[in-house]
Amino acid sequence: MATTTALMVVGAALFGLGVVGFLTRRNLIIMFLCTEVMFQGVLMNFVAMGLARGNLQGQAFGLFVLVIAAVEAGLGLAIVVMLYRRRGTLDAESWRGMRG
Amino acid sequence: MDQHTLAILIPLLPLAGAVLVGLIGLPLLRSRSHWLVITPVAAALVLAWKLYQDVAATTTLACVAGKRMMFDSFRVYDWLLAESNTWLNVTFRVDPLTCIMLLAVLSVSLLVVIYSVGYMRDHHGHAERGYERFFACLGIFVFSMCTLVLAGNFLVLYAGWELVGLSSYLLIGFYYERPAAAAAAKKAFIVNRIGDFGFGLGILLIYFTFGTLEYSKVFQMIHAGATVGGGALEPARITTIALLLFCGAIGKSAQLPLHVWLPDAMEGPTPVSALIHAATMVTAGVYMVARCHVIFAASEYAMWIVATLGAATAFFAATIALTQFDMKRILAYSTLSQLGYMFLGLGVGAFDSAIFHLFTHAYFKALLFLGAGSVMHAMAGTIDIRRFGGLKRAMPITHGTFLIGGLALAGFPLLSGFWSKDEIIHAALESRMPWLAWVALLTAWLTAFYTFRMIFLAFYGKVKLPQGVEHAHESGAWMSAPLVLLSVGAIFAGYFGVAFHSGGAFGIFEPHGKLHELLGVLFAKPEKAVHGGLLGGHMLMYVSSAIAILGIFTAYFFYRRRPTIPMALALATGPVYRLLYNKYYVDEIYDLVFVRPLRKLGEICYDLDRYFINGILWIITLIPKSIGFGLRRWQQGAIQGYALGMVVGLLVVLWWMLVAA
Repeated sequence: MATTTALMVVGAALFGLGVVGFLTRRNLIIMFLCTEVMFQGVLMNFVAMGLARGNLQGQAFGLFVLVIAAVEAGLGLAIVVMLYRRRGTLDAESWRGMRG
Repeated sequence: MDQHTLAILIPLLPLAGAVLVGLIGLPLLRSRSHWLVITPVAAALVLAWKLYQDVAATTTLACVAGKRMMFDSFRVYDWLLAESNTWLNVTFRVDPLTCIMLLAVLSVSLLVVIYSVGYMRDHHGHAERGYERFFACLGIFVFSMCTLVLAGNFLVLYAGWELVGLSSYLLIGFYYERPAAAAAAKKAFIVNRIGDFGFGLGILLIYFTFGTLEYSKVFQMIHAGATVGGGALEPARITTIALLLFCGAIGKSAQLPLHVWLPDAMEGPTPVSALIHAATMVTAGVYMVARCHVIFAASEYAMWIVATLGAATAFFAATIALTQFDMKRILAYSTLSQLGYMFLGLGVGAFDSAIFHLFTHAYFKALLFLGAGSVMHAMAGTIDIRRFGGLKRAMPITHGTFLIGGLALAGFPLLSGFWSKDEIIHAALESRMPWLAWVALLTAWLTAFYTFRMIFLAFYGKVKLPQGVEHAHESGAWMSAPLVLLSVGAIFAGYFGVAFHSGGAFGIFEPHGKLHELLGVLFAKPEKAVHGGLLGGHMLMYVSSAIAILGIFTAYFFYRRRPTIPMALALATGPVYRLLYNKYYVDEIYDLVFVRPLRKLGEICYDLDRYFINGILWIITLIPKSIGFGLRRWQQGAIQGYALGMVVGLLVVLWWMLVAA
C-alpha cells in the first residue's frame, strides 16, 4: 500500500473513531476530545494530499490548521468549564433546553 | 434686486429663521430664540415694501397709459411632470394683490412676533416651556402664508393652503398637554379637511377643464370661453368649479356651516389667535376668491352663494357675540362676522373693497386680540369679562389701544374699519341683492354694541379683579409697543383706500384711493344693478356713522347707566337668549348628526375587525400551529441526537457523490 493511501486510511480511521466517540459518550470533556480526534484525522488527510502532490503546501496548510485547532481547543475547554460551573456536572444530557 | 429675487427671498427668509430656531433653538438659544425669527420677518417686510413700490410704480404707469396689465407668473423651479410634456411647476406671481397681501401679512406678523416675546413668558420674565418651538412654528407660518399669497398657480396655492393649515394646527395645539387645546387643534384640522376636500376637487376640475393650473392661462381661457378639449365652456362647469373652490374658502375662513373650529381655536396662545385666527390665515379664503375673481365672476349663481353666505355668517356670528363672556371668543365671533362682510363684498363683485376690508381688519383685529392677551396676562389667565372690570386706570396703554381697535371694529367714523365696511355695504346696496346691505347695516349696529359691551365691562366701572390677582399691572414694552403700532394702523390703514374728496357738498374724503387704483388693474368694476336710492352717494357714510354711534350708545346705556337691563332682557327673552348663548347649538347638532354616528361606525368597524377578521386570521394560523405540534417531538434537545443527524446527512451526501452520481 502506498504511503499516501496509508496516511489517508489512518486519517479516515481517526475521523471515524472521533465520530463514534462523539455519538456514544456523554461526558462533555470526552466529547470535546473526540472532536479533536476528528480534527487530527482531517489534518492527516492534508498531509497525505501534500505528499501526493509532491510539494509542501499540504504540510504548511496542516501547520496552520494545527495552530487554529490549538486556539479553538482553548476556547472549547473554556466553554466546557463554564458549562460545568452552571450545572455542576459534565453530563451532556443535562443540557436539553431545546427539547420540544 | 429684481422682482423675482425679491419674491423668492420673501418666503425663504422666515423659513430659514424657523429652521435655524428648530435646529439650534433648544440647546443654544432658548429664551433668545425670538431674534432668529424677528430678524428675517423684518427683513422680509422690508423686501415686501420694496416689491410693493416696484409694482406700484409700474402699475401706476400702466394706469396712466390706460393699458390693461397682464401679470404672468414666473417659474421658480420645475416640480412635477404631470403628463407627457405637462409640467407642474413652482411658480410665483407678483401683482398688486400679492403685494398688498404681503404687506398686511408681514407687518402684522412682525408685530405679533415682537409681542410674543413679552407674552410667552411667566411673571418673572422666564421663557415658557416650548418657547423656541413657538417661534419656529410662527416662522413656518409666515413662510406658508407668503407662499400661499405669492403662488402663481393653483397647485402652489394648495400647498401654501395646507401649510398654513398645518402651522395653525401646531400652534392651536401649542399647549398640547391641555386636553381642550389638543381637541381644538384636532377639530380645526378635521373641519378644514372637509373644506379642503372640495378645494382639491375644484383644482382637479380646473386641470381637467383647462389642462393647466397657471392662473393667467386659466383666466385667459375663461375669458375666451375655451376648454382644453376644444369644446365650449359650459356655465354649469364653471359654477361647479367656483363652488368647489368656495368650499375651501368656507373651511379656511370659517364661514357658516364650517365655522365651528374658529371659536375653539382660541385655546391656542393669544398671539396665535391674533395672527393666524384673526388677521391673516383666516383671510386666505377671501384672498383666494379675490384671486380667482375671474372664475367667480363668470358664475352668477356662485356669486349669489358667496354673498348670501357672507351676509348670513356676518349676522349669525354677531348675534352669538352678543351673549358671550369670554373676551377671546367674542373677538373670534366678531372675526367670523367681519369675514362674512368680506365675502359679502366679494359676492357682490366688489373684490377691491373686500381686500380693503381684509387689509384694515388685519390691523384692528390683531390689535384687539393682542389687547385681550395683555388683559389676560395681567389677570393671570382669566379672560371672562364677568370676573374683572374697571381696568382703565391700571392698564392705560392696553385700554387706550383696545378702545381704538374697538372703535375701528365698530365702524366709528374716520377710523379704518369705517371706510372699508362702508364700501362693502355701499357695493351691496348697488348690487342685484340690495337686501343684503340691510342685513349688513343691522350687523354693523350689533357689532358696535357687542364690541363696546366688552369694553365697558372690562375697562370701565368699579375696579374688580379675579381671585388670586392682587393688582393689575400694565404689560411690558415688548407687548405695549406692538399695541401702539397696531393702533396707529387701526386708525390710518383706512386712508390707504381713501382719496381726498374731488368736490361736492359733503366731506373731505371719499372712497377709492390708492389701493383701489392698484387693484383696479386686476378687477373689473362691479356692475351697478340698482342705484343706492335713499342711501346713494355719500348718504350711506352718514347713516353708517350714525348706526355705529347708536350701537356704542346702546352699549353705554345698557352696561353703564342701567346695568340691570341686560339681565332683565336675558330673562325676558329666555329661549332666544339661551339659543344665542349656546351658539345656536351648532356644535351639539354636529355632535348628534355627524360625530356620534361616525364614532358608532368606528366602534362597529373595530368590533368587526376584532371578532370577525381576527377570527379568520386565528383559524389560518391554526395550520402552521398544528404542523409544528406534530413536528416538535422530533426535537429532543440532546447534542448526540443532532450530531447523529449531521453524520447521517454527511453519509448520504458521500453516498450520493461517490455511488449515485
